[in-house]
Amino acid sequence: MAMSTRVSKDDILRPMRRTSTEYYYVLAAASVAIAIFAVAYIIQLQHGLIVTGLADWGSGGGVTWGLYIGAFIWWVGIAHGGIILSAAVRLIGLDRYKPVARLAELLTIGALTVAGLYIIVHMGRPDRVVTSIIPAFPWTVHTSPLVWDVTVITLYFVMTATYLALTIRYDVSRMREDLPDRFDPLYGLLLIGYSEREDEVIERMVWWLALAIIILAPLLLHGGVIPWLFALLPSMPGWFGAIQGPQFLTIALTSAIGGVIITAAIFRRVYGWEHIITDDVFKGLTMWLGLFVLLFVWLQLQQIIGGVYAAPVDQAAATEAKLSHPVYWTAIGLVLLALGYVFAQGVRPSIFSIERSLAASVAVLVGTLLEKIFFVVEGLLYPSFSLYDAAPGDYFPTWIEMASVTGTIAIVVVFFALVAKVIPVVELHAIEELQEGGK
Amino acid sequence: MSADLPLQYDFSEDEERMRGILDETEYDTELGVALAKDAQKLIAGELSEAEFAARHHEAIIEEFETDERPLEALADGDLEEVDDDTDRKGLKDALSGFDPDDEQSRREVLKKSGAVAGVLSLGAWGTAESMAGGDDEEESGVAAADEDEEGRQMGMVIDLERCDGCIGCVDACREENNWSSGANWMYVLAYEDEGRDDEDFLIRPCQHCTNAPCDKVCPVNARHTREEDGLVLTDYDICIGCRYCQVACPYGVNYFQWGDPGEGMEAMSDEHRYDDRGRHVDGVPLKGTMGKCTFCPTRQDDPETRGSVACMEACDAMGMGAIHFGDLNDPESRPNQYLEERRAEVRTNGPHTDEDGVSPHSSTEEDDISTFKLLEDKGTDPNVIYIGNEPGPNAQQVDGPVSYEGRVGADRRKDVLDEGADAEANGNHESTTGVTRGDGHEH
Ligand code: SF4
Ligand code: SF4
Ligand code: SF4
Repeated sequence: MAMSTRVSKDDILRPMRRTSTEYYYVLAAASVAIAIFAVAYIIQLQHGLIVTGLADWGSGGGVTWGLYIGAFIWWVGIAHGGIILSAAVRLIGLDRYKPVARLAELLTIGALTVAGLYIIVHMGRPDRVVTSIIPAFPWTVHTSPLVWDVTVITLYFVMTATYLALTIRYDVSRMREDLPDRFDPLYGLLLIGYSEREDEVIERMVWWLALAIIILAPLLLHGGVIPWLFALLPSMPGWFGAIQGPQFLTIALTSAIGGVIITAAIFRRVYGWEHIITDDVFKGLTMWLGLFVLLFVWLQLQQIIGGVYAAPVDQAAATEAKLSHPVYWTAIGLVLLALGYVFAQGVRPSIFSIERSLAASVAVLVGTLLEKIFFVVEGLLYPSFSLYDAAPGDYFPTWIEMASVTGTIAIVVVFFALVAKVIPVVELHAIEELQEGGK
Repeated sequence: MSADLPLQYDFSEDEERMRGILDETEYDTELGVALAKDAQKLIAGELSEAEFAARHHEAIIEEFETDERPLEALADGDLEEVDDDTDRKGLKDALSGFDPDDEQSRREVLKKSGAVAGVLSLGAWGTAESMAGGDDEEESGVAAADEDEEGRQMGMVIDLERCDGCIGCVDACREENNWSSGANWMYVLAYEDEGRDDEDFLIRPCQHCTNAPCDKVCPVNARHTREEDGLVLTDYDICIGCRYCQVACPYGVNYFQWGDPGEGMEAMSDEHRYDDRGRHVDGVPLKGTMGKCTFCPTRQDDPETRGSVACMEACDAMGMGAIHFGDLNDPESRPNQYLEERRAEVRTNGPHTDEDGVSPHSSTEEDDISTFKLLEDKGTDPNVIYIGNEPGPNAQQVDGPVSYEGRVGADRRKDVLDEGADAEANGNHESTTGVTRGDGHEH
């Protein structure tokens, strides 16, 4: 870590001390996107989901779930991957990535929040979210995968928030005098009951939480209830089957690493953190990105081979349709492009650059978003019961639906922009280690 | 009935509780309690089965309206015969023995006494059951108590060979339920299949599955199965519009209320929209909730109109008689009788053959009419039984003799919704109601 010699506390305090004009431009642009999303949603509330491109499948000639659900899974995937990364850092001592651990945790919180928002946006009767779900919960939790989803997402939100809050206490207590005064009440709140003696206990608690996350996330979340939403339904051959668990998990990890790379690159650029989030970190993340893309593509291959060789009629039709759809190939093309880059820079290190890794990450994120939406839509277009002339139907999202994608991305951007002004987005621990390493 | 059974129950202790439970059911509390008390005696051996059976005969008839046939054999002392017939012993049998052939009356009696005795004396009941050698194919008394209200199971027998694709049933269903244009709760598909010259029809209401995936996945229990008669319904006042039921149903029978139901909703009286449990389950759904064929629940509430549905009436009026709705658990019901008739017809006339003398495949060995349930391999246990040809995996829908556009509004809902979405997005409010209803019925 050659560049780490001059690392200091001041570095991580920089976002709180300096606000550039560009910062306000970004905030303004994001606010516009959020405003458009808000307007779109108000229109949807007024007129109903008729303003989307969705319709009934069967004789209706449409699909019931579309962009909203696809984007929902995408965000949840980013969220889960983010926290898995951060937990892995703590658990198996991937110290190299410590400088991006908190960014990954924050990404999880932001992504989970907008995923939750998508559940509401998707619903025909958002006014009943509390009155209908809560009373039925003791029963439906046994039967409905959708309830499992909501339950685990809530659980995850609580776990991640606890995890984040615990680690933030340490930093805030060490840097309180340096933090902006106007948030003092908030820091006071964060530090309630804090004493240095707790550090060791907290350290252990955080470790256990990380362990729980590492175990639960792959098994229960993106390898579990989220894919089960689809994988348990024999009505749609494009969805049904045991492969969706691993498939969802690999896609989640792929998109999450992409998300972390983008976030880290932006912070590094804006605050001059080249010596904190080093090239080394990006090289490592890029390799991980490649690995997960490889797994993602490999599982796609499994499904394709199974779906064309001697598949049942319904599954064969679904696979054939998938293979002949441009959106599918766009998605796969984008992730393959990223994979090509990862291989190339592995063979020839000079090919690596932050910009290229950033581009690969954007490609992966666009690819996975397209894939998720396509997965949902294509499943409904090719039902097992294909007698209807109106099946496969058609679907194209309206601007109302599309505004939700830019809107939610903008929400996450604003979230990061604001959080960075209040708490250090790089852990003090990471700095301390870099300082030691540098001496 | 050996003496070492754990029979010493203090009935009075639990009587209060039992009365509470029974008071909540629609049946006579006194009768239930008396039955349960005697059931205790029966297990204890203080009462013979014949005595037990005879004791409450009249009251049961009166209360449960079990039909004319039940107890003659028992009352006449023909208990032997009944026992021989059924080859079962024990308490459960004493109860079911009222009419071993009639699933419905048996269950209803069990329902009452079982509810009491089951809760009261789980141990003894279970022991009596195992004493009797355990009858695998029947549920135990305890189970019967749990499955309270399982008496009726409404369903349809649909004779596809009688359908000519006039879509009168679709029209009638819309007339009855006011659903939006294109939300074809009832749908008739004309289709062509490999190896068949003529086009066939498939009449497709909701299958009201016993093991309904739509019911299972609903996150709020809005989609539920009505216990009294097995109707699969949506509570429009609870549904959150997640559309998971629509996704999980393998038949594509659900139609979401994407826009405002407009006057379609107002045109329906409360009596028509709320069933006897006070739940909003009939007619066009509220905006943002899920709709589908309901088997006309408010008609089923009223004993006068029970067993009638609008689509069947229309089909009958047209002289087609393809749809036969009723209680599938009742051998006397219209669907079961029709099935019987058709089988008898085939037995006397020989199997139906095509012009070229080829007989269509038969579904079972004993009869020669071809019956099937749609997508039975999905494990949904549908309650619609079809007579006729089953569409093969490569069958494709073709234009039928009567167009939906002219008659009932629209075939593809998406076409209607697309117009609406554009119009609405542009702020054209006029189309709101046009979209959801009205259009079709102007014709
Ligand atoms: S046909 Fe579909 S909607 Fe009807 S009960 Fe079965 S699964 Fe539910
Ligand atoms: S749309 Fe309504 S009825 Fe269907 S699953 Fe969702 S909440 Fe239940
Ligand atoms: S049973 Fe009732 S709701 Fe169902 S198709 Fe017939 S008329 Fe329509």
